[in-house]
Amino acid sequence: MKKFLIGMLMFVCSQTLSAADISLPKGVIAITPRLAPPLQLQNMDGEQFDLRRAGDQWAFVHFWASWCGPCRREMPTIEILVKAFADKPLTFAIINTAESDDTVFSFLASVAPEINSLMDYDGLVTEAWQPRGLPSTYLVDPQGMIRYVVIGGQAWHSREYQDFLRQLVGEPG
Amino acid sequence: MHHRSANINLFLCVLAIGLLAVGTLQAAQPERRVFENDFLKLTVNPRTAQQMAAFYEGRGFPAEAILLTRTACFFTIGIHNKSRDILWLETANWRFQTASGPLKRVTREEWQQRWQRIGLALPHQSTFRWTLLPAELDFQADEHEGGNITLSRTDKPFSLHASFATGRDKQGPRIDVRIADLRCGEDQS
Repeated sequence: MKKFLIGMLMFVCSQTLSAADISLPKGVIAITPRLAPPLQLQNMDGEQFDLRRAGDQWAFVHFWASWCGPCRREMPTIEILVKAFADKPLTFAIINTAESDDTVFSFLASVAPEINSLMDYDGLVTEAWQPRGLPSTYLVDPQGMIRYVVIGGQAWHSREYQDFLRQLVGEPG
Repeated sequence: MHHRSANINLFLCVLAIGLLAVGTLQAAQPERRVFENDFLKLTVNPRTAQQMAAFYEGRGFPAEAILLTRTACFFTIGIHNKSRDILWLETANWRFQTASGPLKRVTREEWQQRWQRIGLALPHQSTFRWTLLPAELDFQADEHEGGNITLSRTDKPFSLHASFATGRDKQGPRIDVRIADLRCGEDQS
């Protein structure tokens, strides 16, 4: 029992320290941790996604829409990020807000064809998360707590952001 | 920093660009107004009823909803917190004034009631909400956000007085913005 408690304490401390010690790129804001709202949606292939089943790893939760100008600019950088982190312990949940299959297919085909977006058809999941605007990104820790909010569109393909994410998930650069 | 400035400019232009693409822009682009000091940049961009109709038609909104958008006067607002402190957007503190009295703002709640009355599909309600300026937001240092604000349509000129609190506890110096002689965007006949 004692060993278990010490182990738990070390795990919690390591998570807290690792998040607190990381230097934050522009637009990334550390927030008081709060429980992530439910996130259960289907992707463009009709496959079910549930954030709670993402496993013991960080999650990159991103909300977007095709009518949002910064989203068009940011999405190709997210596509590069997804490829770069394919073998890293980071779950991606890229969520389209309240648009049709046709709109999303044609938008992604032109800007980021490798992205398989989750479809929030009625916009209710987005409503529950209440992003500051579109696009918005959240970084959720392995315990399901939102730890960082990322304001506006960012250059996720840049070294600054990828190094930050590698540190977050505990992977060497 | 630079790419985020570009982002907001892109956001502020996206409605007009979309409309040009569908070939329905019939009016000259109304005049964009800008307030800027060391702490805040606020842009106010009037949109015509035709511009807004084309934007929402392009996203599948039904004719009944488009008719309702035509009753309102739309402005696309861009806000950039240039300071290192928190800037508080509270649209309840914004006043639009004609020579004969206050001009009524059409709130998010009023739009919601209109959409529910006509049974507008949830995806369209959601899209409309996300194109509106948030009613309240604690702008972080260097944050840009934008969205539409809607008023009762009028052909009279009016002024805007927008007041922003600053600082984490809202105890910093207030920033007051006054923009005179605003007009609703008018379609060319």
